[in-house]
Parts: sequence; C-alpha cells; structure tokens
Amino acid sequence: MFKLLKEVFRTGEATVKYPFAPLEVSKDFRGKPEHDAERCIACAACAVACPPNAIGIETDIEAATRAWVISYGRCIFCGRCEEVCPTGAIRLSTEFELAVTSKEDLTRRAVFKLAPCVSCGRPFAPAKEVAYVTALLAAAGGIEGDIERTRLLVATCPDCKRRHDATQVMNIGVAQMETR
Amino acid sequence: MDYPMADNTPSASLTQVETPIEYARMKGALLKDIRRSAYVYRVDCGGCNGCEIEIFAAITPLFDAERFGIKVVASPRHADILLYTGAMTRAMRAPALRAYEAAPDPKIVVSYGACGCSGGIFHDLYCVWGGTDKAVPVDVYIPGCPPTPAATIYGFAVALGLLGQKLKATTHIEADGEAAPISHPDIPYNLRVILEREARRMAGYRQGRDIAEQFLSLLDTPANSPVTERIARFLQQESDPRKAEIFARLQSIFTEAVSGGLR
Repeated sequence: MFKLLKEVFRTGEATVKYPFAPLEVSKDFRGKPEHDAERCIACAACAVACPPNAIGIETDIEAATRAWVISYGRCIFCGRCEEVCPTGAIRLSTEFELAVTSKEDLTRRAVFKLAPCVSCGRPFAPAKEVAYVTALLAAAGGIEGDIERTRLLVATCPDCKRRHDATQVMNIGVAQMETR
Repeated sequence: MDYPMADNTPSASLTQVETPIEYARMKGALLKDIRRSAYVYRVDCGGCNGCEIEIFAAITPLFDAERFGIKVVASPRHADILLYTGAMTRAMRAPALRAYEAAPDPKIVVSYGACGCSGGIFHDLYCVWGGTDKAVPVDVYIPGCPPTPAATIYGFAVALGLLGQKLKATTHIEADGEAAPISHPDIPYNLRVILEREARRMAGYRQGRDIAEQFLSLLDTPANSPVTERIARFLQQESDPRKAEIFARLQSIFTEAVSGGLR
C-alpha cells in the first residue's frame, strides 16, 4: 500500500490542465493556416497545391476582382500552401481551437482587384501580382535592361501577347518570303 | 469552399431530416440538464479511423474527457451527443440516419474532422455525399485532420455551451495602394533564391525558410562589423549544431557570390 502511494506521488498528475489553462504545443504545430492578406498577391499557387481544394480562387471578370477563399472545414493542415507561397503570406499557426456552430464561420475570404491589360484593357491578373512581379524584375534590372518595356510586358494579358507575337512572326515571315 | 449546391447534384435531391418546431428550446433544456454528464455515441461514416484514434486519445488519462462527464457509450439509445466522423459515404447514409433516429430527442450532433465538416479530401469522390450535414442537421463542426485531443475537448466544450467559439468568418477587401512587400530588396534576387533553396534543401520548407530569413536579415542589418564577424557572433550563441552547419553552408555560398563565383 505504501509502495503504491509512493509510486502515485512520484508519478504525479498526468492529465493536462487544458481547457482551464492554455495547452502548450510545439512551435511547429500545424494548426490553422493564417493568411496575411497584405502580403498575398493572389497568385493562386496555394490553390493549385491544396490537396483537398480547401483554398479556392473565384475570379469575377465583370467586377474585376479575384477572391481568395479558404474553408477551414476542408483543410487537412498539410502545409503545402505554406510551402509554395512565394511571398510568405500564408503560414500554419499553432491555433487549434477551430470548432464552430455554423459552417459559414469556417471560411475566410480576401478580395483582390484585377489589373487591366495595357493593350486591350480587359482585367486579367491581380494588380498586386503584376506590381510585385514588375518590382522584382525591375530590381533585377528588367528584361534586357529595359525597365519600361518589362513593365509593359508584365502588364499585358496572355491573349494580347499571343497576338503581338503572331503579328511579329507574320511580318518576319512575309519579309523572308519576299527574299526567297 | 462551399459552393451553393446546384439543383442537379445528387445530394440536392436528398430528403432532409425534419426537426420539431420547439427543437431549439428543447436543446437548451438538454444542455442545462446534461452539463456534467454528456453521453456520446460515435458514428463512423466512412472515415479513415484517424478521427477515431484521436477520439480515444481524448478519453485517455492524458486528456481525460471523462472529467467533464463526457462518456462514450455503445448504443445511440443512451446518447445525448452523436459524433459523426467520415465523409458520409453512400452506403453509410442510411445507418447514419438510423443512429440519428434511434437517439432520443433532443440530441446534439457533432461533425468531427475535415471529412465530417465538408467531405475533406474525399469531397468530390463519386461515392461520398460530402459531409455529415448532407444527411443530418449538425450543431457543431470540429475541423482538423484529425482534430487533436485538445481540439476535440474544445469542440465538446463549444457543443455543451461551456466555451464560446473563437473562429469567425472574415472578409478582407484589398485597400487602395496595398502592395506586397519584397523582403530584403537590397540583396540581389538570384542570391536570395539560391540561399533560400539551399536552406530549404537542408532543413525542409518551414525551418529552411525561417533559417534563410534569419541569415538574410543578418546580411541586411546595417552594422559596423563585417558580415563574417556578425555571423560568427550569431553562431556562438546558437546551440543547435544543425543550424550552425546550415549557416556555415549559406555563408560559403554568400562568400562565393561576393567574390564573383556566382552568375
């Protein structure tokens, strides 16, 4: 009996104090993905990487907006979004108290503006993404050292780029045919 | 994402469970009565059993959910709380409804895990309905894949009305002139990329990014002493030999870049 009591006192209490005291979790605990909308450029890399499609991108051309949406209810806390994020806008926090009584509270939205194409004027990519890429390329000296041309190239939509390329190729082709 | 259901999706045609008109009041009375004794019946509707393991971890001595009177019972007829796990497969819908009908009114339904909340990673499979709420009305959602025992206890506390929910739906609208900052713009982009890639190769994406960030901020901070001296001083305080090794490697890349060895 004495031995048993001694053992009991030596072991102490194993039960954690949670929820009366905060639970200590490892600093690399994979909890709620925290989205920093300031840093986010809405490039959709996380939406592509997300295995259960918890992160989605909704593009509205009419309103010229792109919404980044996450459903914490579908998230499997794998951290792939954090891995691919080019700006470090998303990071898995140690927050695990996510239970809710209504499903709507499991979502977070961030709405970004789309930039218009410099050539045709149609909105095609998030303005923040265009600005970020332009700034990065400008810091690296721009394409062939021409910063103004870089800015125009980045702010042109893929359709217009294709059309410009086709026009150029056509001009070259005609010239070659004449010399042949 | 929970897109509004189109009329032609299979689960739109499911008949929904009808609840009595006074159900909310009955539930309030139940919550008042069972505060110290909540009997839980667990229904596995096609989960991977990860959730079940965490539920049983929550009733082990370490987390000890039974100190709050939460007890797992063997029959839905004894249950106050129904705990649904899994993505609600086609075959498990009828048994899930049977368990729901068998539990005495009023009952609290808890949807457990990513699959229970919205179908999780299985949400678009042909053989799942995608979430507990497609079959029975749900009171509390506990997300997680699987939820940790602590998250489970928190979820039950929310279900029993002991703790309030923390998470709220938020919407961020891009402000005028909002721009994503470029970190360490003074360091050449190519060097930044090479340093971060090497750190991530050696330490994994999370710690790698953190270590690269530390290294870059060491390079970036204006100081009187040369970089090598600052790094050496930083390493003296660092007790982790793995981190010291990564730092040494990053430093050798940096010196190579400075002496012009890098394109």
